Amino acid sequence: MDPVALFTLQLLNALSLSALLFFIALGLTLIFGIMRVINFAHGAIYMLGAYVGVTTQTLTGSFALSLVLAPLAAALLGLAFERSALTRLYAREHSAFLLVTFGLALALTEAIRLAWGPDPRQAELPAALAGIVFVLDEPFPVYRLVLIGAGAAAALALWLLLHRTRLGLLMRAASQNAAMTAALGNDVAAVRAAVFALACGLAALGGALAAPLFTAYIGLGTSVIIDAFVIVMIGGMGSFVGTAVGSLLVGFAQTFGNFYFPELALGATYALMIAVLLLRPGGLFGREE
Amino acid sequence: MTPAAPRAVLAAIAVLAALGFVLPGYAVTLLTEAIILALFALSLDLLVGHARLVSFGHAGPWGFGAYVAAGLLLVLQLPLPVAALGAALATALVAVPVGWLCVRTTGVAFAMLSLAFAQLGYAVVFKWSAVTGGSDGLPGVPRGGGPLGLDWLATREGFHVLAALALAGAYLIARGFTVSPLGRVAAAVRENEARAQALGYDPRRTRLAVFVLSYGLAGLAGGLYAGFARYVSPELFFWTVSGHVLVMVILGGAGTLVGPMIGAMALFFLEHQLSGLTESWGLALGIVFILVVIFAPRGLMGWIEDALRRGRRASRADP
Repeated sequence: MDPVALFTLQLLNALSLSALLFFIALGLTLIFGIMRVINFAHGAIYMLGAYVGVTTQTLTGSFALSLVLAPLAAALLGLAFERSALTRLYAREHSAFLLVTFGLALALTEAIRLAWGPDPRQAELPAALAGIVFVLDEPFPVYRLVLIGAGAAAALALWLLLHRTRLGLLMRAASQNAAMTAALGNDVAAVRAAVFALACGLAALGGALAAPLFTAYIGLGTSVIIDAFVIVMIGGMGSFVGTAVGSLLVGFAQTFGNFYFPELALGATYALMIAVLLLRPGGLFGREE
Repeated sequence: MTPAAPRAVLAAIAVLAALGFVLPGYAVTLLTEAIILALFALSLDLLVGHARLVSFGHAGPWGFGAYVAAGLLLVLQLPLPVAALGAALATALVAVPVGWLCVRTTGVAFAMLSLAFAQLGYAVVFKWSAVTGGSDGLPGVPRGGGPLGLDWLATREGFHVLAALALAGAYLIARGFTVSPLGRVAAAVRENEARAQALGYDPRRTRLAVFVLSYGLAGLAGGLYAGFARYVSPELFFWTVSGHVLVMVILGGAGTLVGPMIGAMALFFLEHQLSGLTESWGLALGIVFILVVIFAPRGLMGWIEDALRRGRRASRADP
């Protein structure tokens, strides 16, 4: 294969992987921005999105509907968990939060195993998305291009939400100074609940989008959560731009690393995470606290 | 927190060791594994409970100790106790630079750093197939005997006693540390870092001491596990192992040393008994864990202590 074409295809592969990672990392960073905590259950929520997506598709035959129902289900679960469990912990230290979300990850993974069984579930792509296009005379799956578009659309939508709506304004205010935001008469508890639900919905949307590519299996969440942590730590916890850049970095490092330096790629991402945490504890685009 | 009397703990461990001669073979094997997990949980409690550094990377020293011991047993054919001690020392040694970097942070950043180091270990072991066997791991780790009757330690009962001895020794070291002057300083740093620093103590060095001790004991546990399972694989380093031992510590009661040991053994046996009976065991465990973190952060040990106190009060009021 022509090296330029090969490189271009790898580039597109990297972009589509980055787009999927962006959905899950974005939710993590939104939650961190406003609550100063890491949601360990985010990988399990992503996995839930994949399973709900597959089942919606099996029952209704509609891929589009799965992209609506999966985020909706996850957002409702997130809302219920935030209202019932997390609200009790905001006054406590952050480690309690890590532990309780880890508990949710355990419980959710087992609940999924009970509901769907141990066998992987494959989602089918609708005919319109299942084809291939020719990029520099080489075949490339259409769906991966769709993912790149979806990632870009999500980034734009979230940016508009954060910077052009009242909810976005409140989210940014609460992430800078929650006490002051509350003192000005705003309902910070409601903002927190909305952010948690939104973040869970985003992760599940990523899961539903990933299902046709990776299949839904038990363990999907445990592997992806570490990638998301790496992204959020590198980009800067709570930073929107940092998350986008971090997703691209990790997506490219994994795609090109696995292709050109398969021995070193896996370790290099963790080494990068360690270096950033030590040298710039706030991340590349975050602010140090 | 009232630490349980060390003599009672040692007596309990002696009973566990003696059970190795009474119980049927399969039960002894299970009990040996439970003892090794108790040692693993005890080592994490030093970090989580005593220094309040929530580590999500304790699979790191566990896996590292296991691979070191496997190497010593496979390549150098060393006797089992020597290999386990070698694993503990090597892990403590590596913990000095790793810890020096990790204890610059606390809270979420510490959790993420410890996690990243453990995952780095996973990546190295997974990819460096020439030395570590890659994803296949290293099978056929021998339980090396040796001179002076050490051959007995390679038997089921002998290995069981060795594990119990290691747990007793580790408990004495951990307990000795928490009541030592340095241990008291570590507690002061945990409660109020700024004040401890103002009194002239170095919070980072204090945390580093806890870190190295905790990693060394986890390396000992991992080294014993390599001899127990006779097999090591990269999964030992995976982050879910770190999560699992953290659950043991929290359910048992962080900061009590005894609680995590009880938590580890209770969880191991419950898991073993219930996972055969009901499929929803894992779901129940997750929910119980969430409830404990929210409503009973002192865990099983807190519940036991409260019950004991109530009992004492009642008996005082009775006569």
